[in-house]
Amino acid sequence: MTRHVLERELRQLQDEILRLGSEVEENLGVAVEALRRRDMVRARQLIQADEWINQRRIQIGMRGLSLIATQQPFASDMRQIAAMIEIAGELERIHDYVKGIAKINLQIDEVYYLEPLIALYPQMAVKTQEMLRGALDAFVNRDAVLARQIPAADDVVDDLYKSAYRVIVRYAAQTPTAVEMANQIEWAGHNLERSADRVINICEWIIYMVTGVFAELDSEYETPPLTM
Amino acid sequence: MNKNGEIAIEAREMDVYYAHFRAVKGINIKFPTRKITALIGPSGCGKSTVLRSFNRMNDLVLVARVQGEVLYRGNNIYGKDVDPVEIRRRIGMVFQKPNPFAKSIYENVAWGARINGYKGNMDELVESSLRQAALWDEVKDKLSQSGYSLSGGQQQRLCIARTIAVKPEIILMDEPTSALDPVATLRIEELIQELKQNYTIIIVTHNMQQAARASDYTAFFNMDEDRAGYLVEYNATNMLFTNPQNEMTEQYITGRFG
Amino acid sequence: MAVQQLETGYPEAEALQRQISQRHRRGLRWRWLFQLSTIVGIVALLALLYNILNQSFGLVAVQNTVDPRVLLEGAKTAVLPGADTAETLADLPKETLVAILAEHISTGLGRRLERDQRFFADQFAFEDPALFAEVCAGAEPPAGCTLEPRDQNNVYELLLERVVAPDVVQSWSLVDSVFRRGAIEEQLRTDYPTAVLEFRSWITADFIVSPQSSTPEFAGVRTAILGSLWVVVITIVFSFPVGVGAAIYLEEYATDNRLNRLIQTNISNLAGVPSIIYGMLGLAIFVRAMETFTSGAALGVITDDTTANGRTILSAGLTLGLLILPLIIINAQEAIRAVPRSLRQAGFALGATQWQTIWHHVLPSAMPGILTGTILAISRAIGETAPLVVVGASTFITLDPSGPFSKFTTLPIQIYQWTARPQAEFRNIAAAAIVVLLILLLSLNATAVVMRNRYATKTA
Repeated sequence: MTRHVLERELRQLQDEILRLGSEVEENLGVAVEALRRRDMVRARQLIQADEWINQRRIQIGMRGLSLIATQQPFASDMRQIAAMIEIAGELERIHDYVKGIAKINLQIDEVYYLEPLIALYPQMAVKTQEMLRGALDAFVNRDAVLARQIPAADDVVDDLYKSAYRVIVRYAAQTPTAVEMANQIEWAGHNLERSADRVINICEWIIYMVTGVFAELDSEYETPPLTM
Repeated sequence: MNKNGEIAIEAREMDVYYAHFRAVKGINIKFPTRKITALIGPSGCGKSTVLRSFNRMNDLVLVARVQGEVLYRGNNIYGKDVDPVEIRRRIGMVFQKPNPFAKSIYENVAWGARINGYKGNMDELVESSLRQAALWDEVKDKLSQSGYSLSGGQQQRLCIARTIAVKPEIILMDEPTSALDPVATLRIEELIQELKQNYTIIIVTHNMQQAARASDYTAFFNMDEDRAGYLVEYNATNMLFTNPQNEMTEQYITGRFG
Repeated sequence: MAVQQLETGYPEAEALQRQISQRHRRGLRWRWLFQLSTIVGIVALLALLYNILNQSFGLVAVQNTVDPRVLLEGAKTAVLPGADTAETLADLPKETLVAILAEHISTGLGRRLERDQRFFADQFAFEDPALFAEVCAGAEPPAGCTLEPRDQNNVYELLLERVVAPDVVQSWSLVDSVFRRGAIEEQLRTDYPTAVLEFRSWITADFIVSPQSSTPEFAGVRTAILGSLWVVVITIVFSFPVGVGAAIYLEEYATDNRLNRLIQTNISNLAGVPSIIYGMLGLAIFVRAMETFTSGAALGVITDDTTANGRTILSAGLTLGLLILPLIIINAQEAIRAVPRSLRQAGFALGATQWQTIWHHVLPSAMPGILTGTILAISRAIGETAPLVVVGASTFITLDPSGPFSKFTTLPIQIYQWTARPQAEFRNIAAAAIVVLLILLLSLNATAVVMRNRYATKTA
């Protein structure tokens, strides 16, 4: 077997993932920042960028599959490729959430009460970004220990989300005209929370890639109470 | 592994020597009944030697000597009063290169049965053996032609048919497709899957994809610095090829050595 | 090809072409050399054939001891019955021919001829009736007591042989006969004015079916051919099973130990031992030590104890058998070794015993090779002379061999003896005998080749 070709391909694939990951990570912050500043230009750019991210994810998937077909990888090689295809998919979905936030930004009106409702979102974004960066580090370094530690941060994101949720629900309860709007804003927070969950999925794949065992790293995420 | 399944044949602390050279050391392995087990490993790791120990084909090499036990039906086949001729009738073998006899297709299948004193209907035996070997439809109109008139893949299936004809329990296969083209190889692999219903199959292959495709269990052999082969890892095939437990197995199956 | 000039370290462009054609030329020189060696071989073969055929055919000057016309005239003068109308001797009736014969041969010879076969049923030409009756009543009555009397043709041939006695006074080679006809006729007129020039093929049906004779015109090779065939049969019967058996043992059963290696080396060396040594061996073992067996005495098949000794076809066959045994063993070993191991393994893997594997697969596959080796070995045996001379082939024998305990001669020995005779005609019949030997060898080989091919196609 010519490991030379396989190794070169794997390296390139990994670089692709890292580029994709850092873009997604950056756009996550940008989306929240654009929401806070009501920057429509940025929001539109993000929606466009999603198209590009999708393409890149498909490319990574195809390259991975053709590596399987042509190199017949086994064991760690096989797991790497499988993990990379999955990770690319998770990244793409995170970016779907980013796109979702940008779309909400375009849809909601100019309202004076927005600021307090999204007050916790930048923190959530920063935390999720940290998790994603950590996951990418764990991926590059094949660090299963690090990958195992990352989901703990998800609890912080969840708590932030729960707090934000409560604020929004309370506001919506007091202001029946704002229910539609509040729902949209809440959905942006949900997107952030889901992004963090996707990072946990990425960590699970990293652990599988390194150890060969698939570990469920369930966070304490619970469906928020549907109390209106 | 296969806790409730029966064991067809088992090696216990088996060493094989060629004169003073220890080719294989300390083999402990159990082969489950009616399963396909693949033996893989780098060239010279002794996997063929191990295979040949199971039907005493090593006896043909004058300087070869087997120590330890090979248990078949609870008896050591290297025991004092065991006749290798009987062992080989019960444990058949298919070889690397198709080696049909210089006889007609019919005789190729019938010969083994005849010398072993088969009393039943020979025509029926030949037909059923050829059918089991998925060759009947291709040769039924030319049974009197020479076995050499067949293509390589057909010849190998003929060799499998003649092995089946003596009704063995275990079929040993020593790289049975290494001389065949990919299409013929796949046909043999399919055939092996069919045969699994009735026979225990142990197959040596240096084609890892084949082991991955065609076997239920895989045993990985390697050799130590004295060039003595030993068993490194033995596991269900899907486990061994996705998540090998031994670093050496990992390196071998990902092509880092061997 | 004008390619861009790159510094490749190899000759390019014209230099490349030069270099390539130089390589071709060098190869061509070797090819010529090999062709030359083949031509040398062919020329040598042609020279041999030329030499033999040149001697086997050609003009001969035949001179009759007594001219048949003189005999006819004599008969006419004596007014013997039928003489007046006869134009040649062959036309004369039997009584007249007997009368002429009686006039020209001794009574002793006449008696012997009459004892071999009587001339008339009702009377005797030479023999005393009382004596004949006494001989016929004896322990060993001659053939003439029971045989039908001779017919006219028989008597005529006797007359030709005994009285007319045509004698070849000189013979010429084929090439001389064709290209120097005039000179030959000239020489004939001066040297032998009464002789007749005729073209003769020394190989005739008579030559092949006649027994040995001291006169070249009547000598034939029947005894020698039969002797050769008998000896070869004995040789094959002995050496083929023994040789193939030994080869099977050495290849399939023998372990690789010092003793077997020694045996193997010795067999290889034995193949190179000069044949005369085998003759000495045969003389010591078969002729002398085993005389009671090889003479047939032990089996009680001989009739005359006084002349019986070990110098028989059996001894000769066994000696030649010993001679070619190493060849057969070595060839058979190679043929057996060439059978792929995989075939043996296939047999064993089906639960066959070693013997079943050898008998059903190894031997049939090796048989074409074994037969080829045996053919070569037997061809050598047919051509052998030296060991047979030592073992005691008869130099002059007119009696056909009747079995393994007969005295014998073989074709090569016959040829060897004839070439040693002083008369030139013996050289002609020696050449003719060589042609017969060659034909015999070729036909034996052809039979064996056909057999082998049939075997090879059957098993392949």
